Amino acid sequence: MTALAKLTAVELKLLVREPGSMFTVLIPLFILVVFGSSIEPGDTMLLPMALAIAVGLVGLYMLPTTLATYRERGILRRLSTTPLRPVNMLVVQLLMQLVLAVAACGLLLVVAGTVLGARLPGAGWAVVATLLLGTAAMFSIGLLIASLAANGRTANGVGVLLYFPMAFLAGLMQPANQMPALLARIGEYTPLGAFRQSLQDVWAGGSPSVVLLGVMAAYAVVLSAAAARFFRWE
Amino acid sequence: MAVIEVTGLAKRYADLTVLDKVSFSVEEGEIFGILGPNGAGKTTTVECVEGLRQADSGSIRVLGLDPIKDGRALREQIGVQLQHTQLPENIKVWEALDLYASFYAAPRDWRELVEQWGLADKRDARFGKLSGGQKQRLFIALALIGNPRVAFLDELTTGLDPQARRATWELIKQVRASGVTVVLVSHFMDEVEELCDRVAVFDRGGIVAIDTPRGLIEGIDAEHQMRFTLMAAADPEALLADLPGVSGVVRDGDRVVVTGRGDFATAVTARLARHHVLVSDLRIDKRTLDDAFLALTGRSFN
Repeated sequence: MTALAKLTAVELKLLVREPGSMFTVLIPLFILVVFGSSIEPGDTMLLPMALAIAVGLVGLYMLPTTLATYRERGILRRLSTTPLRPVNMLVVQLLMQLVLAVAACGLLLVVAGTVLGARLPGAGWAVVATLLLGTAAMFSIGLLIASLAANGRTANGVGVLLYFPMAFLAGLMQPANQMPALLARIGEYTPLGAFRQSLQDVWAGGSPSVVLLGVMAAYAVVLSAAAARFFRWE
Repeated sequence: MAVIEVTGLAKRYADLTVLDKVSFSVEEGEIFGILGPNGAGKTTTVECVEGLRQADSGSIRVLGLDPIKDGRALREQIGVQLQHTQLPENIKVWEALDLYASFYAAPRDWRELVEQWGLADKRDARFGKLSGGQKQRLFIALALIGNPRVAFLDELTTGLDPQARRATWELIKQVRASGVTVVLVSHFMDEVEELCDRVAVFDRGGIVAIDTPRGLIEGIDAEHQMRFTLMAAADPEALLADLPGVSGVVRDGDRVVVTGRGDFATAVTARLARHHVLVSDLRIDKRTLDDAFLALTGRSFN
């Protein structure tokens, strides 16, 4: 087996053994199931919210915590003394977090579609583009946290601290139409808010707003560039 | 043949000079010690040699390669144990070894290494569950997994209990016996004295001496003492005061303390024997690398 394949296999095992992964999958599922008992068949609100929560948790909590911990423990540094380039570890880690996000979303879609009878849109370009851009925006925030945080604990704390106001502004704690108009308006242009709104637009059968897709793309590009600029190997 | 050649290495951070004019060479098959107090520049030097850091000036050749320009080729042939590194908590011993083996073109069999380093019954244990000694042995095994020609071991036995340290020393001697050149960074005098064929003594960013541990100790020209108890009446002051190297003889009842420099103790015992003066409790203060360090730098090691 090549080094990269072996690294992927080992990191996948570590991801499964990490209790945080389990929470990331179970928290949105729990929310979906609890509130799912009170939704109408064909609901287009709850599932997009659960998906946004799941991707947000991976991007803001799992990704920065894992990367900052790896740096803190000197794992990236130790790798740089071997023939393997440590950038491979970053790529594999991003892939693992993507696997986690896909697993969490897949589980939500299956449970919502079968047990709860929520509406599932067809797998058109709009769904794919929205999920991809939303994930990219969330991951770029996580990358920036990982670049700036001194250690895993700080990264974890910053991720959690950012998550709650972002989730509030994104209308994940209460529906956006019950929020003050100004807050709801601001919330739409936050990464998580743009993601939630775009998902809901798609779920309702419409096209996602090009402006919101653009907002997510802009966050992804700018924040990733900043993360790359500030990243330290040690 | 020299496997490592360092000439005129210098490194500065902002206005702080970390290394200045560091030159040394390491011969194939030896255990070369890099000794000095914390902050003397040991780790920076080794990290430049490993290619982890770039020096400001000076030249480094390791196995004929430049650690920065030929980094990829060099990393195939060296093994490194770094200070303050950990593995993921949940990785198993065999997984870590198997993973690191896959990074090298011609690795060693990790099953042999777990046997040799006493980790066979821990092969399925997670890293986070290992004791300090077991973790340290795993790090050394990881440094050797690529079948390196040179192994760099940084603060090998920090945090180990005395028994585990002794056991680790024996294993390092085996590593040398298998033909691997070892560069050992340490701030433990006893470790360096026990293991190293040659030592570079670092102080404040420079090398103050390079020699065998014995040579360093014998090179000290400082006063030390020998003590003994007279078993019958004698006049040690008259007998010993004129011996070369002896600078003082003090008698307190039948207890005698002789102070001197160099190898005066041999002369003292020879003269006592020639005059049939019987003594007991003969003790010569053992000089150690600590004394050598004090003599070289003018200050105590710790």
